[in-house]
Amino acid sequence: MIDASPFVSRGRCWRFGDNVCNDGDMVPFHFVIAREQRPEVLKDHSMTGLDPDFPKKARAGDIVVAGRRFAHGNAHIQAFIALKGLGLSVAVESIPRGSLRNAVNAGVLILPACNDITSEVETGDELEIDFATGRATNFTRRWERIYPTLPTALLDIIRRGGWEQNFRARLARGGITR
Amino acid sequence: MAIHRPAVGIVGQTLTEKILSRKVGHSVQPGEVIFPEPDLIVIHDWYAANAGRVLKQFGVERLHHPDRVMFVTDHEPVAVSAEAASRQREIREIAKAFSIGHFFDVGRGGHGHLFPVQAGFVKPGMFIEAYDTHVPNYGSVGALGIPLLNEIVEVMAVGSAWIRVPATVRIHLTGRLSDGVLIRDFAQKLIADLDAEVVNYSVVEFAGPALENVSVDARFTLCNTPLEIGAKSVLVEPDAVTAEYLRDRVQGDVELIRSDTNAAFAFVSSYDLSSLEPQVALPPMPDKVVPISAVAGTPINHAFVGSCASGSLADMRDAARFVKGRKIHSAVRCFITPGTQEIFRQAMAEGLIDIFASAGAIITAPGCGPCAGGKIGSLGVGEVSINTGTRNDYGRLGARDAQIYLASPASVAAAAVTGCIVDPRELS
Repeated sequence: MIDASPFVSRGRCWRFGDNVCNDGDMVPFHFVIAREQRPEVLKDHSMTGLDPDFPKKARAGDIVVAGRRFAHGNAHIQAFIALKGLGLSVAVESIPRGSLRNAVNAGVLILPACNDITSEVETGDELEIDFATGRATNFTRRWERIYPTLPTALLDIIRRGGWEQNFRARLARGGITR
Repeated sequence: MAIHRPAVGIVGQTLTEKILSRKVGHSVQPGEVIFPEPDLIVIHDWYAANAGRVLKQFGVERLHHPDRVMFVTDHEPVAVSAEAASRQREIREIAKAFSIGHFFDVGRGGHGHLFPVQAGFVKPGMFIEAYDTHVPNYGSVGALGIPLLNEIVEVMAVGSAWIRVPATVRIHLTGRLSDGVLIRDFAQKLIADLDAEVVNYSVVEFAGPALENVSVDARFTLCNTPLEIGAKSVLVEPDAVTAEYLRDRVQGDVELIRSDTNAAFAFVSSYDLSSLEPQVALPPMPDKVVPISAVAGTPINHAFVGSCASGSLADMRDAARFVKGRKIHSAVRCFITPGTQEIFRQAMAEGLIDIFASAGAIITAPGCGPCAGGKIGSLGVGEVSINTGTRNDYGRLGARDAQIYLASPASVAAAAVTGCIVDPRELS
């Protein structure tokens, strides 16, 4: 199936459980302290607190699926910049507000409220998700579900690439810029 | 993300929905993403220089509404390094370059979560954004304060940034606190009780007859503490206490805007203040709360009264009551931080500063005091503090292994003179 939508991801599932911690699990804490924000640096350390080889195994288009309170703890954006650097998207059962904001601002496609999804996937499953409609397809296990999506205004920010690109676009439209 | 839809039938609006609806010109729903323009943007001293640099990096030369931007100096009013002094100089240049409407430099104003209310910048129904998590203090007079991080520069430059309309958790208060028990004790007990998943991204709104006896000073505390378990903001329903407080502070009418009685609340709970005893938050979590009797007798080295949670004149009075006629215990160093220049002046006029100084306490410059990361009055290895700061994470006030207990100004003052944690009611 060919789909040109910027909101569709197709790739392998990487399944994680509940309470994945923002700092430590998703990105080593020393990058947070150093305020490192380069995707090309952070991508090689994404999720290494839970799987040291994750950055080598994950491919662009793959989808991180996790349980409740994904990226909980202090909401540092490095965790999502690292996912963005690998070209990944995310489908989770729940996510605290600060981390949802970080996902949007880092330009990571996300379904924030996929009830019980972790019981319906395994790592390695072939998934396709349309983040604009909420339609998720598991080709390995042959099911299709519709989950709640982000509001359109946030999808627009993600489509532009995240906070920085969106801010530049707003400045170009109406702000006063050099 | 819970997206709440109103039930069938006529559904009113919460105070938060009313404030945000007015800002965007249509009736908003919880979960909706909107770009509301704040009436006031507050930038604190530790971020102002960064804000200036980011604005320059994005090529911004003029702000959307510089007259609505306020710079405050509270986290480090007394620069403790050459770098900090240079940062203050940079902030002065940025304030000038961007024609910042309200610039409160060192020694002017004081704590940015307290003095804008005290000085009449804040009214019920206003919408305020700031680069600091404790901006909901403005809810003390019925204004909605929302914290933002880097996007605050977007608001400065183009007028707004996205927020999702939060749902409201309504807390109905009845009864009256008994002597020696303060609103801080209740606020700590409340965040220990509430489910963080319910509060996450919600506005906590306080209402009920008990508020007749809760001053605006105490409401600062009430609006401050729920942040620690993830509330988006906090509001106290404006009432006669609010109107009386604001009468000589603001110009024009004060509208006592409130939630409709048929508004859709995500969660409703009720508390009787009468039966409460003093509460202490144990290290290292503000919501790990026990009755003070559970930790009575714990020796302390350090005590501090102040911060945006407990830096009001009422807090100074509540602490002074237990220090008066006594000495700070020989094993304890005690720091008192009046929140603002005005609170300092009033505390002096009332003789409170004399009580603290005579007892052997240090009175620091108005602002955040030690609570701002322990730049001043820090803790050493293995030390124990009881204080009225906002958080007690390991390392918050210096040494990683130092233990921080959070409590009311009365409990902190009682411990400072006793040398160990003690129920303040035993001293009165």
